[in-house]
Amino acid sequence: MSKSKRDRSIPRWPLLWLAAALLFTLPPMFGSLATWVPCLFLLTLALKFWMEPKGYRLRFAALKLILAALALAAIFVSYGSLNGIESGVSLLVVLMSLKVLEAHTAREFQVMVMMGWVLCLCGFFLSQDFGIALCLLTAFALLLVALIQFHRGSSPGAFWPPLGTTCKLLAQAAPLVILLFLLFPRINTSFRFEFRAIRSASSGFSDRLSPGSIAALANSSDIAFRAEFPGSKTRPPGPMYWRGVVMWHCEGWEWRAPYTPAPVSQSSKLGGPGGRALPGQSPSGKAIRQRITIAPHGAHWMFALDRPFEIPPGAMLARGNYVWSVQPIRKARRYEVISSPEVGVNELTPHERQLALELPASISPAVRELAQSWVAQGSNPRATVNNALQFFRTHGFRYSLSPGEYKKNDLDQFLFHRRTGFCEHYAASFATLMRLAGVPARVVVGYLGGEYNDLGRFFLVRQADTHAWCEVWLPDSGWTRVDPTGVVAPGRASLDLNSFLERRIASGQMESRRNAFVTQLARSAIFTNIRLGWETLNYEWDTRLLGFDADVQEVLLESIGTASRGPLFLITEILVVVSALLVIYFGWMQLRTRSRVDRLKALYERFCRKAARLGVRRDPWEGPSDFSMRAAQLLPNESERIRQISNAYIALRYAPEPGSIILDSFAKEVSAFEAHHR
Amino acid sequence: MKARKVPLVYPTPSFAGLLFVLAAMWYAASSQNSAAVYLLLFALTAAFLVSIPHTLINLAGVTITLESVQSAFVGQEVSLPVEVTNGSRATRHGINLALSGSSRESERIDYIPAGNASRVTLRFPARQRGEHKVGTLCLTSVYPLGFIRFLKKFASSQTYIIYPKPAGDPQLPSNPAPTLHNRPQTEIRDGDDFAGARAYVPGESQRHIDWKAVARGQPLMTKQFAAEAEGAVHLDFSALRFANVEERLSQLVLWVIEAERARRPYGLRLPGTVISPAVGQSHFHQCLRALSLFQVGTVRRA
Repeated sequence: MSKSKRDRSIPRWPLLWLAAALLFTLPPMFGSLATWVPCLFLLTLALKFWMEPKGYRLRFAALKLILAALALAAIFVSYGSLNGIESGVSLLVVLMSLKVLEAHTAREFQVMVMMGWVLCLCGFFLSQDFGIALCLLTAFALLLVALIQFHRGSSPGAFWPPLGTTCKLLAQAAPLVILLFLLFPRINTSFRFEFRAIRSASSGFSDRLSPGSIAALANSSDIAFRAEFPGSKTRPPGPMYWRGVVMWHCEGWEWRAPYTPAPVSQSSKLGGPGGRALPGQSPSGKAIRQRITIAPHGAHWMFALDRPFEIPPGAMLARGNYVWSVQPIRKARRYEVISSPEVGVNELTPHERQLALELPASISPAVRELAQSWVAQGSNPRATVNNALQFFRTHGFRYSLSPGEYKKNDLDQFLFHRRTGFCEHYAASFATLMRLAGVPARVVVGYLGGEYNDLGRFFLVRQADTHAWCEVWLPDSGWTRVDPTGVVAPGRASLDLNSFLERRIASGQMESRRNAFVTQLARSAIFTNIRLGWETLNYEWDTRLLGFDADVQEVLLESIGTASRGPLFLITEILVVVSALLVIYFGWMQLRTRSRVDRLKALYERFCRKAARLGVRRDPWEGPSDFSMRAAQLLPNESERIRQISNAYIALRYAPEPGSIILDSFAKEVSAFEAHHR
Repeated sequence: MKARKVPLVYPTPSFAGLLFVLAAMWYAASSQNSAAVYLLLFALTAAFLVSIPHTLINLAGVTITLESVQSAFVGQEVSLPVEVTNGSRATRHGINLALSGSSRESERIDYIPAGNASRVTLRFPARQRGEHKVGTLCLTSVYPLGFIRFLKKFASSQTYIIYPKPAGDPQLPSNPAPTLHNRPQTEIRDGDDFAGARAYVPGESQRHIDWKAVARGQPLMTKQFAAEAEGAVHLDFSALRFANVEERLSQLVLWVIEAERARRPYGLRLPGTVISPAVGQSHFHQCLRALSLFQVGTVRRA
């Protein structure tokens, strides 16, 4: 029978669609799983296309068991354990590969499609980037196409028709998706499972600043965070110093942040709504509100423009005026923070002064001597700072991405011989030298600049924009930002790192890291626009869609006034709307596809019912012409009308070209039939 | 045929799988509080929900017409020719036609264009002699996604007859009754001289089919050979030696076929039924019908 024949092999086209869909589930895997896993998957897909026409398949239970055991062992070897998200997803991918080799019935095709959906789910565990999400949603839709094509069988057209049907289905599903997404109660299940962080601490800077640690990030295009300025149509003026962490502990040329930062003391809080404002200075006037979407980095710091004073919940303002999250940031998070560029004068507590002057004993006499020479020339700290900057300006220091390796704590080598460094070399050495000169100093690590997206009106800050600078304590202005890098590389402060480097390369100050043509192309207007557009989409996806969590939903529900009714009420409401929509779809499709002949038939049946009421019942086997003759005989008063209706019906129904008789006039005649009789 | 009023919708086995996938997605989404997974979950849910009216509409306007069912002998195949008409203005896909009841026979129609009809033949083995009701025919469809099955039932009061299996001794009994009446003009029996051809009667030996004529595209014909004329034969149920009723019926069926093939008048005598000798299609079927219905009171369902 045809059914059993269908069961013996999976037709080519549905398999092709399925393979296309499964290819789209691969991108997230290639980044995060052991490479052999997606490769194996690709291989089995290819193998299936070779096997299916020949009727080969994985048949023997023993062989299947052996292969599954081998795969399990391979996964164990690759990851060292079977726990964790990567090995779990790998296991699923491998099982799916085996299933692909084995499947051959209609039922199993359905199972493969469902496993494909589970792979989409796994893809979201691995990454939720916009690009990946697009791939996975495409895979989801292609799986629908595969399923539809499978059920279409040998219907003509295997490319556009199933695609069209899927589009129709998805278009009809879209309102439902939006409804469910906005209103379906987001209940947090009590049995949570935590994923091991996939790329923990691999992105961004660490709590330790050593020579070369920031230069290593200069090529990273990973996104650190995005910031928009609610209530403001333009970017704030001036250089954008994004404060990350303040390093207090000097270990010679290396600096370190406190492991558990102390909260900022009340007295050293900046002026502002929360703190003590200076007379004549109102930081709130220049306060900048920022909404920041931070990418997970596994550490505690949260970024804000220099310097934050109103911080989001779940964070604290640590000593040194930086925002320190209580929980490590393992998930993308969005928060609002208010900063003010105004620097207030606060007292420096004796403890803080001591902290800001602490030095290790290992510093060489030559360096100490250099620092002391600056103090000798001037009496006040400001003069000392200027002397130091002058030193960096005039002694042939160079700014370079690849300054070469320095031996551990080899400050002498840097200051007196090689004189080549990146921002962290300058910031760390400057701060150390300031402490040697008796000026309280600390190092701040964060980001400088970022790319402003005019389209989406937000700043995109990448890991490449990581920057380190110094703050020194001056009695008249308090903690003051000093960026020694700006002395060596003027102009860096107003640009993001990439633009800055491009300019230097263009002016011949630096050799190119990349092929000039590629650089040119990447900087051309059209590419910049495409990139900005793509980044805007990314941002919208991250903030609007991924950001729509239970809390945002709560706010939405409150605004439409259904928050208090509870989830059950919401579900009932959703059910009602969904059913109504489905009924509307059904009615619409019914109306669109119902035959016109059926209407004719319905009209004729109506006529027969009317005739029956007058006493002439049409027998099921009686043709319209026989019936009209009989009815005309039995109802002589109506004979003319009956004959007319019957003839019209026969003409409409059987004539090759109905000609002048139109269905509507026939309908009128039928309507008039009995009414006239009354 | 008219469809029964109440349409039936029920889930297919893969629906359980879908529920499992949805549950897994929901658990993942809610425990991770991940909007992206929620989006996937709702997309799948919505696609499934929207597919329900699509499945329902796929059988709207589709009707079936049962053509007359050919009688068959036990052991042969009963063929049920059915015309499935798509009276709507859209192409219908993936329609399955089945007989409800014990038999699992089903025929799949991949598509019927708008306003067209598709002819399919349901075949199932004839197992028991007697008159059978076709019963209920079911049109089912799982198109487009296959998680929901929509079923439309068409009740039919049409019946068909299954004749007993011809078996036993092909030699006609040698008790020619006095044949004063109904003596045919020409007597044809197995012999050596070709005497023409006539339509093939289902059930008779295929030895004498004029295969050359079939190859020329003509219908099945049986070659006939003239032999000595003989009188009418009386086939008597009670004269048979077998104890088993079915065996006797089988023998009688075989004789009826042989006699009809030989164009020799035959009469049938069953307890309670007497059919006087004659030849011809209607007589042939009358005899077979009497044999089929012998001692079978009720009409059996297919």
